[in-house]
Amino acid sequence: MRYAKAVLTLLILLAAVTSLCVQGGQKAERGKVVIGVIGPMSSPEGMAEEKAVKLAVEEINAQGGILGYPVEVVVGDTKLDSNTASTEFRRLATIENADVVIGGFSSGVMLTMMETMAETKTLFLADASSPAHAKKVAENYDRYKYWFRVTQNNGSTFALDLADMVKFLKDSGYDVKKVYIIRDEHVWTDPVVEALIPLLEEQGVEIVKDVRVPRGYSEYEQLIQEADSLDADLIMPILAIVGTGDILTKQWVTLKPNILLAGHDLAAIDAELYNKTNGMANYEVFLADGGALITAPPTEKCKEFVEAYKKKYGHYPESHQAYGAYDAVYLYKTVVEMAAKDGEDDPFNPDVLVNYLEKFDASNPIMLTRPIAFYKNHDLMWGDNYVRNWISQWQDGKQYIIYPESVANGELKLPPWIE
Amino acid sequence: MIDVLLKIIVFGTVVGGIWGLVASGFSLIFGVSRILNFAHGAAFVCAAYVAILLSGSGFNVYLSILAGLAVSGLLGYLVYLLTRPVRKNEVMVIIVTLALALLIQQILLVNFGDKGISMLPLVQGFVELNNIKVTNMRIASFVLAVASLVSLDLMVSKTRIGKKIIATSQDSEAAMLTGIDVEKVLILVMVLSSILAGFAGILYAQIFAISPETSLKALIYAFAIVILGGLGSLRGSIVSSFIVGYILVLTITFLGARWSEFVMLLAIVTILVVRPTGLFGVEE
Repeated sequence: MRYAKAVLTLLILLAAVTSLCVQGGQKAERGKVVIGVIGPMSSPEGMAEEKAVKLAVEEINAQGGILGYPVEVVVGDTKLDSNTASTEFRRLATIENADVVIGGFSSGVMLTMMETMAETKTLFLADASSPAHAKKVAENYDRYKYWFRVTQNNGSTFALDLADMVKFLKDSGYDVKKVYIIRDEHVWTDPVVEALIPLLEEQGVEIVKDVRVPRGYSEYEQLIQEADSLDADLIMPILAIVGTGDILTKQWVTLKPNILLAGHDLAAIDAELYNKTNGMANYEVFLADGGALITAPPTEKCKEFVEAYKKKYGHYPESHQAYGAYDAVYLYKTVVEMAAKDGEDDPFNPDVLVNYLEKFDASNPIMLTRPIAFYKNHDLMWGDNYVRNWISQWQDGKQYIIYPESVANGELKLPPWIE
Repeated sequence: MIDVLLKIIVFGTVVGGIWGLVASGFSLIFGVSRILNFAHGAAFVCAAYVAILLSGSGFNVYLSILAGLAVSGLLGYLVYLLTRPVRKNEVMVIIVTLALALLIQQILLVNFGDKGISMLPLVQGFVELNNIKVTNMRIASFVLAVASLVSLDLMVSKTRIGKKIIATSQDSEAAMLTGIDVEKVLILVMVLSSILAGFAGILYAQIFAISPETSLKALIYAFAIVILGGLGSLRGSIVSSFIVGYILVLTITFLGARWSEFVMLLAIVTILVVRPTGLFGVEE
């Protein structure tokens, strides 16, 4: 028995020494920087992330890489499935030795990936909207501190944006008293509606019905007519996962009810929506999730980015995830260089880089395609001076920001059939 | 209450029409060849994609639709070729057609992504029936679907080729002995069924939008409807497609949209528990 214990102790010691050697070896052997990009690669969100990361990396490599190391991109496909997402994240972190992982759409798969991130201690510049992610960071900082939300604000700020949208419509002369909500049957919409109810109540606006629709749902004509029969002034979509926001828009334009369509519809952010619906996307009011539109880039870098994207891929970004993914690469490069400049032993160490990312707070945003700053729980900072979901509208084949005035490049235009 | 009833009847009928087209083709193939064609949904989406892409590139819209139908017909022929060597093994048939369906779905995903694209409706606008707005395209789709289904039914029950189809479905070996070229009948059935699915897809893309994932939805609906109607019963499939339409609309009206497909599938399971052969099926 004593002999067995001695062997076991020896084995453990051997494993520990080997592990240290491997870590040391990796450090000594660094010949490149590896950036992992993960997402549903058949979806516009994932495709845009991959393309944006590759574009940023190409630009960075052309300028000498990060601290002189060439940057390599490795790709993981979540297929929007939690198990696959976790496996792919682990592959990127442990087999491909990614220094940082970027992306991760959407909220459901993000929760699983965060566990793999914590186990592998991998820096994760992430894309998903549930407030639950940042809550994890706040509740167990040491475990989840490697996670930063880069692409869009968390879901609870959608409520602020949507309430502002209603206020803006009222201020613009379109009276809103009754709202009919159509939303994803998904975890991310619950906190949005929960936060939205009191905000609308403050404005004297009633929610006449809150309808949840499953993924792939298409029978919106009935819902539009129900909204009409309930005297709603506004049909408010809160749709992302359902994947059929374009059908809602098309059926709204076909039926021409005396109700405005205004809310958060991920389909409306797609710059190609007008073409994909043969011009039937006109007049939909939507939130420019992620804080940028091709037609109204908020920063110079954003303007350069969308044109570079078009030049490289022949079309503009297919989803707003492109901005976040592109920013994430430059953000990573920036913090690594800051750490190196400060004389850190290992400027690629995720524990070190967390401290540098946290330096970008309310008083010190970094100006990328959008002004990026983080809250203490690593959520992306919301506000007119940071990232927010601009109130926008489709008008004759073009997306315009119509609120707030500081960034607006158009005005609200009501559909001709609305009295 | 009359308003609600009217709404259910109107919407249920128009919803049922399109699914009737998809399901009748699925049923026809099974009835004649005992093949469960899991690539049936692929014909539904492929025809729509071809029609949308061609019409979007400036081709005449009717020619684009014909091209879409031709592609779905070719897909039916491909299913015939692929299943011919394994026709006697039902499991292999399912695997082969399912693999083809998944392959086509992946090809579409890689090339077009998972977001929907739609076709401009051939007829626009809507009519109001007792305060219920029904789009003209829905009405046109319903009329076209019913016309197609009636023609199909007449062809099967009244024509010479229809009699060959019935003979083959009842006993293919006996049909062969009477001089019927069973293989030609099978090709005809596969191609015709796929064209019906393709036609439904083209109509669907005008009312809704089509994406690679829609192929799975079409397959599930077709499968559910055909089982409800009784495997192999063409008329059963047509009737049950309308039943499914009414169940969907009833659920959306009284329970909410989130329950629509769940209740539809639950109702089908319940009916099958009471009547395992489906509404119009007979025990073999």
